[in-house]
Amino acid sequence: MAPRSQTPKQQLQAAITYPLDWLEERSGIVGGVKYFLFRKVPGDVNWFQTLGAATLTAFLVQALTGVILAMYYKPTTGDAYNSIQHITNDIWAGWLVRGMHRWGASVFIILMFMHMGRVFLFGAYKYPRELNWIIGVLLLAMGLGEGFTGYLLPWDQTAYWATVVGININGTAPFLGPFLSQFLQGGTYINDTTLSRFYSIHMLMIPGAIFALIGLHLYLVVRLGVTSPPWSKEAAGTGSTEPPSSTDGRSGLVSPTPRRSAD
Amino acid sequence: MASDRVVERRRVFQQYKADVKERGKPFYPYAMFHDTIMSLVVVATIIGLAVIWKWTIPGAHHIGTEPGWLGKLYDAPADPGTTNFVPRPDWYFYFLFYLLRVFKWPWTVFIGTIGLPNVLLVLLLAMPFIDIRSERHLLRRPVALVASVLVIVSMGVLTYKGATAKEALGSEIVGHVPTWAAKEGFTGNTPALAGAKLFAVSGCLNCHTYISDGGENLGAPVLTAEGAKGKGIAFQVAHLKCPACVNAGSPMPSFVGLGDDNLKKLAAFLEASKGVGKH
Repeated sequence: MAPRSQTPKQQLQAAITYPLDWLEERSGIVGGVKYFLFRKVPGDVNWFQTLGAATLTAFLVQALTGVILAMYYKPTTGDAYNSIQHITNDIWAGWLVRGMHRWGASVFIILMFMHMGRVFLFGAYKYPRELNWIIGVLLLAMGLGEGFTGYLLPWDQTAYWATVVGININGTAPFLGPFLSQFLQGGTYINDTTLSRFYSIHMLMIPGAIFALIGLHLYLVVRLGVTSPPWSKEAAGTGSTEPPSSTDGRSGLVSPTPRRSAD
Repeated sequence: MASDRVVERRRVFQQYKADVKERGKPFYPYAMFHDTIMSLVVVATIIGLAVIWKWTIPGAHHIGTEPGWLGKLYDAPADPGTTNFVPRPDWYFYFLFYLLRVFKWPWTVFIGTIGLPNVLLVLLLAMPFIDIRSERHLLRRPVALVASVLVIVSMGVLTYKGATAKEALGSEIVGHVPTWAAKEGFTGNTPALAGAKLFAVSGCLNCHTYISDGGENLGAPVLTAEGAKGKGIAFQVAHLKCPACVNAGSPMPSFVGLGDDNLKKLAAFLEASKGVGKH
């Protein structure tokens, strides 16, 4: 119970901290967020290492615009094309939302490749981050799967014929190919079932998996830390530089033995 | 017992954690500031592309199927009956799309379609276990350097080739039909002539090659001397209706939408094509 002598400022502080304390006591989420925000990263991280956050942003744009599009899109062969026209031409800012989803897909794919290139360039997939590289490759494959399944949905000529050939290509695989084609199409030819199946895969199955894998991906990033650029003079983990001399002898906690010279 | 390599990399990681604890900076606000700027650039780029897509389309209302700088807002509605359409995937599949031209039907095509992409995927997944040295500086990783340059260059070239691949325009090719008839010797064969016109305008040459026209796409065979194989009208019609039914694993789409009469004409044309100068 707050004492009556509280000033308005103290009362305001209490009003803000009370719900946070309530939440923290029951979930630990405040501590978790604090840990995430105030965890240390190497002092020499650079702009290349923003590509992961950029990729995440592009995915969130896809998720948000996708949810809005799903409110108006109709996944049947009779209505799909008209609903796309309706979104593009009639609904307020519909062209913007659809355009962002259409071009955000390309941006997302480009950023995934660039992010992967950065990780390769930095050798950041090496011990102990192998597992996170594998998750990243799976995310890339799923991103391309989103591109393939989303391409059919406008149900125009481009969409239809690219998908006919795409499904037939799947069909050329030995053993599993014909079953895969059959599954994707929901029959022998592209039809209503194909469209609703692609729609379901595109907006439920793959995005759900992507969200889960991004969660794991970020968990591992936080747990294992971010690598320093390999060419950095003070890269974390090389032990090749003296820590700041003003640490009143605490540098001995890092490595009690004399450091190796920078060869 | 842990090997020297394992001991060493564990030591390096412990050193990394100690270094970060000692000399690192907090994610917020330093790294997060850069991440936020970059994210805003991404969102602005996406909005910019959407705006350019619509507002560079000529005309007062910027709608319809006229292309702007970034192409059309949508194409004509999907129509399984019209086959005069060049199948094109989105740009990031162009490398795959072009790869298929490298492999010829029938026995190698699945190497291009399924084999290579899956091998690449497995190699990517396995990379941390193939490249187990702890060296991270690219200039001291010669194999990784060469491999990454090769992959980037070949993906770039294949994407470019896929983007600029010649497309067969039915309206132009149909003018070649009299030349075909003269070379292949079916000038007097009315159903074959009608079939040749259908062949020219139905998109067959997006994938197939006939004399000097067409695409050699998706591993589709050259049809200049298809008639010399003696497969017969009935086979050709059945194949056009359901290519994969008579030729297991064929990626060719069904042309059943053309109707029986047209399919018979197409078959007559194919059977009349015995090869240049072979009549």
